[in-house]
Amino acid sequence: MQTISITIIVNGKAISLRCAANQTLLDVLRDELGLTGAKDGCGGEGECGACTVIMNGKAVNSCMVFAGQADGANIETIEGLARGEELHPLQKAFIDAGAIQCGFCTPGAIMSAKALLDQNTSPTEEEIKEALSGNLCRCTGYKKMIEAIKIAARGGSANDR
Amino acid sequence: MTGNFGQRIIRKDAFDKATGKAKYVADIKAEDMLYGVLVRSIQHAAKILKIDTAAAREVNGVEAVLTSADISGEITHGALIQDQPALAHQVVRHIGEPVALVIAKTKMAAQKGKERVKIAYEPTEAVFDPVEALKPEAPKVQPSGNLITEYHICDGDLEAGFSQADIVLEDEFSVQRISPGYLEPEGALAEYSQDGTLTVWVSSQEPFEDRDTIARVLGIDTGKVRVKSAVIGGAFGGKEDPELQTLAALGAWKTKSTVQMVNSRFESFVGHPKRHPARFFYKIGVDSKTGKITALHAMAYMDTGAYASYGPAVAGILTETLAGVYHIPNVKVDTYVVLTNSPLSGAMRGFGAPQSHFAIESLIDIVANKIGMDPIELREINILKPGDKLFTKVPLDVTASALPICIEKAREAREQMKQLIAAPGKVTGTGVALAMQTMGLGAKVQDTSTHRLEWLPNGNVRLYLGAPDLGQGLAVAAEQMAAEALQIPYDRIETICVDTGLTPNGGVTCASRMTYMSGNAIIRAADALQAELLGEAARLLNVDVNQLTYHKGEILKGGGAHIPASEITSRLAEEGRTIQKEGSFSFPYPKEKTPDHLPIGMPHVMFVFAANIARVEVDLALGSVKVTHLVTVNDVGKVINRLGVEGQIEGGAATGLGYALFEDVALKKNGQWVDGFTEYLIATTKDMPELESIVLEIPEASGPYGAKGVGEIVLVPTAPAIANAVFDATGVRVKQLPISAEVLLEGMKKRQTQ
Repeated sequence: MQTISITIIVNGKAISLRCAANQTLLDVLRDELGLTGAKDGCGGEGECGACTVIMNGKAVNSCMVFAGQADGANIETIEGLARGEELHPLQKAFIDAGAIQCGFCTPGAIMSAKALLDQNTSPTEEEIKEALSGNLCRCTGYKKMIEAIKIAARGGSANDR
Repeated sequence: MTGNFGQRIIRKDAFDKATGKAKYVADIKAEDMLYGVLVRSIQHAAKILKIDTAAAREVNGVEAVLTSADISGEITHGALIQDQPALAHQVVRHIGEPVALVIAKTKMAAQKGKERVKIAYEPTEAVFDPVEALKPEAPKVQPSGNLITEYHICDGDLEAGFSQADIVLEDEFSVQRISPGYLEPEGALAEYSQDGTLTVWVSSQEPFEDRDTIARVLGIDTGKVRVKSAVIGGAFGGKEDPELQTLAALGAWKTKSTVQMVNSRFESFVGHPKRHPARFFYKIGVDSKTGKITALHAMAYMDTGAYASYGPAVAGILTETLAGVYHIPNVKVDTYVVLTNSPLSGAMRGFGAPQSHFAIESLIDIVANKIGMDPIELREINILKPGDKLFTKVPLDVTASALPICIEKAREAREQMKQLIAAPGKVTGTGVALAMQTMGLGAKVQDTSTHRLEWLPNGNVRLYLGAPDLGQGLAVAAEQMAAEALQIPYDRIETICVDTGLTPNGGVTCASRMTYMSGNAIIRAADALQAELLGEAARLLNVDVNQLTYHKGEILKGGGAHIPASEITSRLAEEGRTIQKEGSFSFPYPKEKTPDHLPIGMPHVMFVFAANIARVEVDLALGSVKVTHLVTVNDVGKVINRLGVEGQIEGGAATGLGYALFEDVALKKNGQWVDGFTEYLIATTKDMPELESIVLEIPEASGPYGAKGVGEIVLVPTAPAIANAVFDATGVRVKQLPISAEVLLEGMKKRQTQ
């Protein structure tokens, strides 16, 4: 198997590594870097959104990006969101609003939401639904996720629902 | 109240899940871990002529290639009937059946090895329809035949009942196969220790059953197998089957290493249990002047796929709910559980009730339309009331008073929905469905749950939860109930989730039973723990135990002295002792509620009730259905954690909606199954309606603080409510799920030409 050398900036840190040419960004994050927050829910078909990370400011399914395509890119993953024990407002809102059940889709959903809020600080409900429409969830019915994103967008807490 | 019942309590695992730290099976990485990959059948039905593993074994990095010949214990397992080979033996019975297991040092080597396993098949005739499979000329899926279970229950005089009716209707309904669709595919990680024991991390609803199955298949003592729950990414009934945990254990045992196995989504579709497809044939008699239903005959044919899994038990609840929530004096039901060459069906959220309710709740609307009565009124005339007996002869208690409230709420909700105007190019309609769901495993089945509490030296209480939290939030509810029982703050409870080496056996997390079962067991454990604490305090303080009382985590001594429990437990720790107490609870099946004439697993004696009211808009040009509003009414007995109850209702609505409108693990024209999320659509943010949840709290006398189970009922009435709304909007009665645009367009076209 052909191997390639890439450098990616993951959560602000430049990392150079060798990997197989057919490895995806998801494989690199999970298997090479031990960042298992991004999940494989559909077998690398780009269908479920559980592997969503932010690449150069855009939410992407990391299972659909070859490692080589990520060379030089700026990657944000769920592991880079909190500052120590201090959670990102989206993480806090997801927890407080009860948007987390089994949690398998949570990292991907939060990253999709972050990519949205980074671009649009006060999205409409329709814009939130659009941004989250590629993130499948079987537990929550999405209602509390959408609430959580609204709460995070207005910088509030779950109590002022 | 220290348990904070009814409040929105934040679960303790949410932090790890929100930060990506939570470890699901696929996230666990052990030193020198090997990867197991399955070679699965590409045939619906075939004889296996030869399995050639030589080329696979030569692949660099491949450590072993195992087939059924490598199994030293029992080659088959099964939840109720031992009919399913861990690895296919001589024949394959469905696409996706595991045939060989390749174990390698890397995922890539395992994949390469898998591609080099050569299997010679001789295809045989396959059958996919449960009614066809019962015909004498049908190919036999198992040598003993395709009918594995049949239930026949009769109550009253069917012929007399039909003769009292002036309207008798016959109709057929069918429901499709759907996937549990949890986002985390099945997985297991098994670690071999030098002392000849195995530790297996699972994503499973029943770790204790897994332990026993693993031991049986490996031919070793259960004492050598320890099963631990990893964080579970959803289950919904689909993680009650032991496939991967057994095979990872087999791989680890044979290679004396650690083996991780994780299904791909494709494998999850073809290799793991689904909701049973079923066909229904109904005959109903009604007195059109009074609206009273006088007789009902229902026949159900369930396709359980190539192996039984939980089919016979699912059939039990399907059978018991074939007459829905109605008091019908003359009833006969006949249910047949049939083997086919489909991927197996088994447990899934609702366990037979979603299937039967689609049929009966559609039929009730058909009757109402026929006799020109409001469907809500027809329901009101016929609903079960406290004191009524079901056709199983099980009497209903006061909790059935939820049904009239469901009716009242349905009227109000429908009235509001009718005020809304359809979007241009669309027609709108509203539909109602009522439902009941059983709780517990059924009479004559071992239905017990045991958990343990330990008072730690630091004053916290540790809960050894003997059953897994599937993601739905069992742990937080159990912690709240433990806090309430001990009158201490909720944050003083810490939980160890099921580990067969450490926790008692809490049983299977299923059947809407675990809040109820664990709560009752924990209350008993808490009582025993308090008594033990007082006894130890009396000894250490050298006083008579009768002079001590327990109050909110403290021991009260005469003269107003308050001694914190930690003072006693830390002194005990110095003696090398701890205070631990188990509590055990068995589901009550009182004699007067469990007539002997029914087969094992029947009847169920406790029920939860619900209503769904749906508003749809149907696009006249496309035939597409959009559910715009859904009002749900659910009786939960008592809300323990409001966030948890709301989460169950909202998530259940999404699954119910998918069942109604698009989910279908269908056999495609090319002979392959729908086996991925590209073709198998589940509800996304864009499909969800405006949702209102009305939660009733009619206490269950035997429930912990009055609580019942809410996990399954939430989705049972959803699909029929939507089907009824589609009829109201279009005049087209769709009798098979999912309600496809094709069927609807054709129906609308037919109506126009009539």
